[in-house]
Amino acid sequence: MSALISTAVERRPAAIDISRPVLYGFAAVLIVLIVLPMSWLLVYSVTDRTGALTLDNFFRLFSESAFLDPLIATFIIATSSSFFCCAVAAPMGWLVARTDMPVGGVIRVLVTASFVTPPFLGAIAWELLAAPNSGLLNKIFRAVTGAPQEESLFNIYSLGGIIFVVSCYTFPYVFVLVANALDRTPGELEDASSILGGKRWYTARRITIPLVLPALLAGALVAFLQAMTLFGSPAILALPAGFHTMTTKIWSLFQYPPKPELAAAAALPLLLLTIFLLRAEHMILGRRGYSVVGGKYGAPRLIALGRWRWPALALCLVVLLNPVFLPYAALFNAAFAPVASHFLTFSNFTLHNIEFVLFELSATKLALRNTVILGTTTATIGTVLALVIAYVTARKAVPGYRMLGFLATAPIAIPGIVLGVGLFLSYTRPPFILYGTLWILLIAFLTISLPSAYQQLQAAFRNIHPELEDASRILGATRLQALRQITAPLLRTSVIATWCFVFVGVMRELSAAIILFTSETKVISVLIFDLNESGDLGAISVIGIAMLVITFAVVILVNRIPGFGVVGAGRLRT
Amino acid sequence: MRVASVELQNLTKRYGSIAVVDDVSLRIEHGLLVCLLGPSGCGKTTTLRLIAGFVEPTAGEIRVGERLVSSPSHTVPPEQRNMSMIFQSYALWPHMTVTENIVYGLKLRKVDRDTMKKKLDAILSTTRLAPLADRYPGELSGGQQQRVALARALIVEPETLLLDEPLSNLDANLREEMRFEVRRLHDTYRYTTVYVTHDQSEAMTTADVIAVMNAGKIEQAGSPEEIYNRPRSEFVARFIGSSNVVKGKNLDDSRISFAGKPLRVIGAKLSAGGETAVSIRQHDIRISTVAPPQTENVVPATVVRQVFLGGSRDYMVEVADGEQLRVVTSAEESIAQGSAVYLHLPPEHCRALSR
Repeated sequence: MSALISTAVERRPAAIDISRPVLYGFAAVLIVLIVLPMSWLLVYSVTDRTGALTLDNFFRLFSESAFLDPLIATFIIATSSSFFCCAVAAPMGWLVARTDMPVGGVIRVLVTASFVTPPFLGAIAWELLAAPNSGLLNKIFRAVTGAPQEESLFNIYSLGGIIFVVSCYTFPYVFVLVANALDRTPGELEDASSILGGKRWYTARRITIPLVLPALLAGALVAFLQAMTLFGSPAILALPAGFHTMTTKIWSLFQYPPKPELAAAAALPLLLLTIFLLRAEHMILGRRGYSVVGGKYGAPRLIALGRWRWPALALCLVVLLNPVFLPYAALFNAAFAPVASHFLTFSNFTLHNIEFVLFELSATKLALRNTVILGTTTATIGTVLALVIAYVTARKAVPGYRMLGFLATAPIAIPGIVLGVGLFLSYTRPPFILYGTLWILLIAFLTISLPSAYQQLQAAFRNIHPELEDASRILGATRLQALRQITAPLLRTSVIATWCFVFVGVMRELSAAIILFTSETKVISVLIFDLNESGDLGAISVIGIAMLVITFAVVILVNRIPGFGVVGAGRLRT
Repeated sequence: MRVASVELQNLTKRYGSIAVVDDVSLRIEHGLLVCLLGPSGCGKTTTLRLIAGFVEPTAGEIRVGERLVSSPSHTVPPEQRNMSMIFQSYALWPHMTVTENIVYGLKLRKVDRDTMKKKLDAILSTTRLAPLADRYPGELSGGQQQRVALARALIVEPETLLLDEPLSNLDANLREEMRFEVRRLHDTYRYTTVYVTHDQSEAMTTADVIAVMNAGKIEQAGSPEEIYNRPRSEFVARFIGSSNVVKGKNLDDSRISFAGKPLRVIGAKLSAGGETAVSIRQHDIRISTVAPPQTENVVPATVVRQVFLGGSRDYMVEVADGEQLRVVTSAEESIAQGSAVYLHLPPEHCRALSR
């Protein structure tokens, strides 16, 4: 193989071929990152306490109602969220991409805003809005109708409530896929149908809808996957309602007394289902190449809505009330009101919450410190790792580069909580006892952020035509000179963007951290989760708003880089 | 300025079991412009990249002058070959201005400021880029970008200049203009130039020598006239210009059977009992409604289609065994569709192909 593919590796007589050690070194790092925790997960799931081989864990998982009920709840939540996401996102995507609805760009931005809102923060905001007693919306309801105190309009602590909140922060995945597919579908394809005699609805039914159907299907799968692997929202809303989902169940198995073998057995189906669904999505989207067959196409054709233009906009805004306007307003209210469940007025405006978070709450400083340390180290190591792997795969610099690329993207199929369990099992035992240190969190965050960092930098490399480097070589630059003078300056913005993205991702990560933190290694997201349990919603709102501001700053920065845009935002994970 | 010859000896590049370049041997004399011409996927770009040193050969050698630059065991890296290359994508660095792009190679060669300034001014005026010197590549039109790529490649005065489909991204008018520009610059500087293209008229207008490539091999190499007038293989006959290729059983050492009639041909001696492909150009066939004075090489046919092309007329005719030929005549000679005609295929234009 080596002599055949190593087009870029030159052999000067004196120089040693370092491509192989590089490859093996990176492959080893990636294998430790990914394969080790997944192996321990598998081992634990099929052994009992004494270490003997058994299938008992799986047997219990599928027979005891303590496990079956969460399984069913998860299935119901994932299926219905996925359905509602499609029902809302597909028409909205069509309105934005294919009609003359006013301010479509603003709608896209607002959808992006709900995209980047950490789902657990959204869930807490909806607690503020729709908790049965203290929820602001219920208070308004009682004030308007004069209903008694025990009566409430909404109860967010319910299966319906969870499905609603999960859908709020999952529908952007479907929206982006559908809107992008419609954006890319050239208007000529529809014109070709019209000229052959297809009426408007016939064209829509036979041409437009089939063209976006794969994207919609893929979106449904992604939404299902998101809802299934989410930890924060169900932990915040389902536990008070008195039931579990798979992720909260796995988490509860780590509460005293810990049952890691059961947690491993429960994590495995999540992992397998994720891999399966991602494969399915890949297949569905992979066949969609037909929508871009052929040469030059014009802009998509916009349908004139006539007098329905403004009602359409109103509809979109009403939808966006739920993931964006209401929750943000509730967070803002809680941040500056003396009590989170009171309405903010000019007279009761207070900075007490900010003061509390910054100066009184002892945990803040530690969590902030840990988050900054972990954020910067993860972002730096992750970006460098991703950069080297992306270079190697984009330029096919060493034989076997495909395997490196595969390993770098593999963690995308590992839900955060599953990774958390795997890492817990791997690093609470010799030779690597890392539990209780920041190292284990670093490993977790590194693994989680690697795929998106890699994909972003690979896309950046793909935008840099290899001939740009070749041109510099043939004019007399060595490989290193070409990298320094040509490639590095062209990559600079992408590298900075990737770094920021990883940093923000670390700040938002909850589902792996929740398994791996100890009192000394708490991070901001875990702090928010803790504060929720102790009822300090005002403090959460302050931290949450700060998080949102940082996130938006990064997203705006990234959106200014050509080729990143919404696709980049789509890769934020929680 | 030194100009070196470039010599490829049994050059082979395999990817897995596929030979992209298959045992190619070619000698390019000092200062000549050679075109590697062929359809996409024929291995011409890989050959060019082998010459540039971006790709290592699986077998064979490349020599520049007396120096061995590529062999399976040793490949001189591109930066040490004193070559220049113009890429299909132009590969202009988007973060550098026109001037910065052009002087890049001089900076690497540590040329002093005054010389650099002189050379820059000279090349800017030669390529008519002076007013654009401070623009970024993204602010230039396709033709201007192309000229920047030319200037950047020429300013370092390379021994060898390589061009990879340099005109394929330009629109038709500009392409025609730039063909002559490339030739003009070559005549001015006289580098040994290797030019890759799939456009045969581009090759005809620019090249001293054309090497027609197919499936990794050189089918035929020679002057444009030679390639055009004396194609050696069916592939070359079809690819260069507009030839009909007919096949028939050999009757004796100079005649084959075509549409039931004997057809006298020139070129290679025919072996008894074999089958031979014969090429004849569309405008070399005479067409008439009355029997021509000659009796040899006359075949009856029917007009299937005729098109008036302004300067000429294009016929599709069908002979007795159902085979169709294209014939180009002067515009005045109009024969209605469906007419019975006689085709005269002059023996001196019927060329037996060795392959």
